[in-house]
Amino acid sequence: MIPVPEIQNREGCPRALIIIPAFNEARSLPQLIQQISSLYPQYDIAVINDGSVDDTVQVVRNLPARLISLPCNLGIGGAMQTGFCIARDESYDIAVQVDGDGQHPADQVRLLVDAVRQSGCDIVIGSRFLSPEGYQSTLSRRLGIRIFSLWLSAICRTRITDATSGFRALNRRAIQLLSRNYAEDYPEVEAILVAHRAGLRICEVSVEMSARSGGVSSIGGLRSIGYMVKVSLAILMCSIRRGEIAP
Amino acid sequence: MQTYGHFLVFSTTLVVFLFVLWLVRRRSIGERFAVLWLLISVFLLMASSVGYRYLFEIARFVGVPYPPSALFFLAISALTMLIIELFAWVSKLNDRTRVLTQQLAILRERVEREQAVPPSQPGR
Repeated sequence: MIPVPEIQNREGCPRALIIIPAFNEARSLPQLIQQISSLYPQYDIAVINDGSVDDTVQVVRNLPARLISLPCNLGIGGAMQTGFCIARDESYDIAVQVDGDGQHPADQVRLLVDAVRQSGCDIVIGSRFLSPEGYQSTLSRRLGIRIFSLWLSAICRTRITDATSGFRALNRRAIQLLSRNYAEDYPEVEAILVAHRAGLRICEVSVEMSARSGGVSSIGGLRSIGYMVKVSLAILMCSIRRGEIAP
Repeated sequence: MQTYGHFLVFSTTLVVFLFVLWLVRRRSIGERFAVLWLLISVFLLMASSVGYRYLFEIARFVGVPYPPSALFFLAISALTMLIIELFAWVSKLNDRTRVLTQQLAILRERVEREQAVPPSQPGR
């Protein structure tokens, strides 16, 4: 294992942690982590291995990234929350969420980090629909995403076009909030609502995504119907739940 | 106890009560649920002995023409409440397990990192 250097204060540069939740992503992780570490040597990378049964552990041990291995599978929400807890405990300024499947191009991480620093927003979502370039997903998925985006836009009174995007950057306030309260399954949509109810500001930047380079999507076939039902219920339940207090 | 049926109901609830006591003695059941089940079994014991004769009157009072229906309604309502309580408890346990799992992973990584750094030489 490559020892990770101690985190140091870097003048003029925010301390950012790039969190990559990974479940059986041994094929796509090497390229992704190599790209991120060569593009952003100033940022730390944490791979949250969510109980993978492939070679994810062995692969990541030989890469310039921290490896946090959950003893059992918690789901994407539990894995991401682990990353937020690390970012909170180690006082990172910014946490960037990047999927381990290669859908989120490493060179676009800078867009999110810059947006968090300059826009004054607490959460910046990388949206693939602000400009029609790059991978736009299948028609049925786009329809589902559009429904949730319109719904959330109406609730949050701000324009959201890609509510399910897992390509996000958070500042300290958002890290504090989501490290305490993050849904277990399909958490992206609910997280926007939780943040809005806590008074956090959310905005989007345009990014180009690509089709996944490895692994299998957790949403497909009948699961996509379950996804729509679950997320719809989550939005309704979140609306009647007592709101979180902003940190 | 007037009939064989009454005796059967009473003895069954007595067995439930003794079983709960046995579980409490063995510490097989947590305090939270022990109190709940002791209350339930005491209630059943009372209802099946002295309260049995009042069942018809209570049923008539609340307007249920067939007294056993009132009993079933009460029993099903109580069981439903119990199941909801168990769901809430399981959710709480699930949250705690998730936090423990996350903290375990974080601490393990921290230990591995510290072990990977060679210890500094004494006197330097």
